Amino acid sequence: MKISYKILLCSIMIMAAAFGFGGYFFVNFVFETSLEREIGQAMDESSILRFAFETAALNVPSKYVVLQDNTIGEIGSKLENSGEGRMLRISDESRGVLYVSEGFAAGTDLLQGIEAQTRLYQVIHPDDRYYVQTGTVLNAMDRLLYLETMKDVTGVFEERRQGFSVYRRVTLIMLGCSSVAMLFISFWITRPIRILTKAARKMTEGDYSYRAEQVSRDEMGQLTCDFNTMSGALETNIRELENEVRAREDFIAAFSHELKTPLTAIIGYADLLRSRKLDEEKQFLSSNYIYTEGKRLEAMSLRLLDIIVAKRYEIDAQRTEVGLFFDYLRDMYVEREDMKFSCEYQGGFVRAEVDLIKTVLLNLVDNACKASEPGQLVEIFGERREQGYLFSVRDYGTGIPEEERRKITEAFYMVDKSRSRSKNGAGLGLALCTEILKLHGSELSIESTLGEGSSFSFLLPYEEENNLEEEGH
Amino acid sequence: MIKILIVDDEKPICDLIDINLSAVGYRCKSVQDGLAAIDLIEKEPFDLILLDIMLPGADGFDIMEYIRPLQVPVIFITAKHDVRDKVKGLKLGAEDYLVKPFDVVELVARVEVVLRRFHKSENILRAGDVTVDMEARKVTKGERPIVLTNKEYGLLVLFIQNKNVALFKETLYEKVWKDEYIADSRTLELHVQRLRRKMGWESNLVAVYKVGYRLEID
Repeated sequence: MKISYKILLCSIMIMAAAFGFGGYFFVNFVFETSLEREIGQAMDESSILRFAFETAALNVPSKYVVLQDNTIGEIGSKLENSGEGRMLRISDESRGVLYVSEGFAAGTDLLQGIEAQTRLYQVIHPDDRYYVQTGTVLNAMDRLLYLETMKDVTGVFEERRQGFSVYRRVTLIMLGCSSVAMLFISFWITRPIRILTKAARKMTEGDYSYRAEQVSRDEMGQLTCDFNTMSGALETNIRELENEVRAREDFIAAFSHELKTPLTAIIGYADLLRSRKLDEEKQFLSSNYIYTEGKRLEAMSLRLLDIIVAKRYEIDAQRTEVGLFFDYLRDMYVEREDMKFSCEYQGGFVRAEVDLIKTVLLNLVDNACKASEPGQLVEIFGERREQGYLFSVRDYGTGIPEEERRKITEAFYMVDKSRSRSKNGAGLGLALCTEILKLHGSELSIESTLGEGSSFSFLLPYEEENNLEEEGH
Repeated sequence: MIKILIVDDEKPICDLIDINLSAVGYRCKSVQDGLAAIDLIEKEPFDLILLDIMLPGADGFDIMEYIRPLQVPVIFITAKHDVRDKVKGLKLGAEDYLVKPFDVVELVARVEVVLRRFHKSENILRAGDVTVDMEARKVTKGERPIVLTNKEYGLLVLFIQNKNVALFKETLYEKVWKDEYIADSRTLELHVQRLRRKMGWESNLVAVYKVGYRLEID
């Protein structure tokens, strides 16, 4: 059941009960007041009649000492006729009826237990009419008589009945009107809920950009506001996840592509060797291809392993003299005669894990060599900057087109594939460098001009020299 | 003579295809760059182009757009194992699609089929004094017609297409029976023996130890 219907139903039930009880008590109160008034009147009349009777009895010529039964009848008849619609009954000591008006249909039970100077009354309901029956004791000329009157109060009861029926009608109309009003009110109150439900469904369907409209400033409005904040956060998270998944898929696609190419060559040449009788030259070519492509696979798997290890690695950074790196590079490349190297650096100390930073530098210098023609210059700088110690490797080779610069650190990305492969590259070097630098809280910055060469640089936290002195002590 | 252009950014793959197709009797040229490929297509007519998708310069789809008006059949060769790429390639008008790593026998067969579809391949295969009319499905040795069963015919075509190549039992079985080869099955052996007798190739169709068979003929 809808919440708006629940609100509606509850309020209708409460209203119906309230109207019902209220109306009942009100009509009843009015009725009881009128009835009391009628009873009061009946009692007054009863007193007046008693007084009138007693007066009349005194005026009777005192022929007899005791009031005669027929005299009583006469007085009764007179009394009856002195008022409109008056009904009375007079009975003697032994409850024998001496005079009774026409239509006086009440029973005699009222007089049971009546005492002198008391008045009694009861409401009786013979047939379909209502009467107030009163009873009193008369004392006239040594006779003890009972006077009973009956007053028609059907009107009061009829009023009550009419009151109830009018009230019922009014209640029904009021309930009807207020139900319609409540229907609108409950729909209005629950509108934010419906809006939120719609928004939640939209999100379930995958539309994370949908926002619920805020239609009120109350708690519901606050809820809508919070919901929107939540979906905003969710949207961001989902986008991030999607990007991550996409990056991973791209990586796998690139990986399988890179894997398939050497595999095709290895399988194809192996098949060629085992199926055909080849001349010596082709035989050498085939086996050489199998060897080089196998090597390529090996290089790729090693680099991949490096990256995976780097991603899980906790670095053990230590104070290192920068000269260590530059001496290492010099040693590595001094024997290469096809390239010219220049190495300039300012002394100092950095915080780094030596082997990892060596790998980064080796990769950068390797890349620089691959991008250069034989005999070109590759420059390696080390410089103290305000933000840290700057390492940079500069070449004057092919350079990187601007649109490729962003993708260059992605795994398997190669600016010039055929060229890079001919130099045994797998397209993983810069991806590895990025991971290692990330571990050091640094990043690789690339400047490049097409045709003029590129410069790769990164910063490492600089360690003050006086620290060394303190440590030295 | 049929000329085939191989466009792949990997020199080893180009050489591999080149060696195999040349052995079957096609003339091959290969380039490693998309733009170079377009230059070459402009200069020389080719009967078939084997095209890689990921290429430096211009990618396979770009080149395909360029080739289409020339009505030269194209077979895509790529490592991309993506249905969308396949559909895209075929929609652009490629005749077939080969995914790396591929079987050499498969490559030769596909090339053969595409060329035949374009009536560029001779519908007649020759081996020594044996001629096979692929269209009429008639085999003659000298002047004498030879009656072969379906499987024997399939085997014969494979052997002639791959002259002087040791064909593995698995390959033969998979290509002719289109089913997985079960080791120890003598079905293939029986068929080869019957084919050998019918063709009179007792000394030409030799068994290669532990491998399969080879047709040694000029």
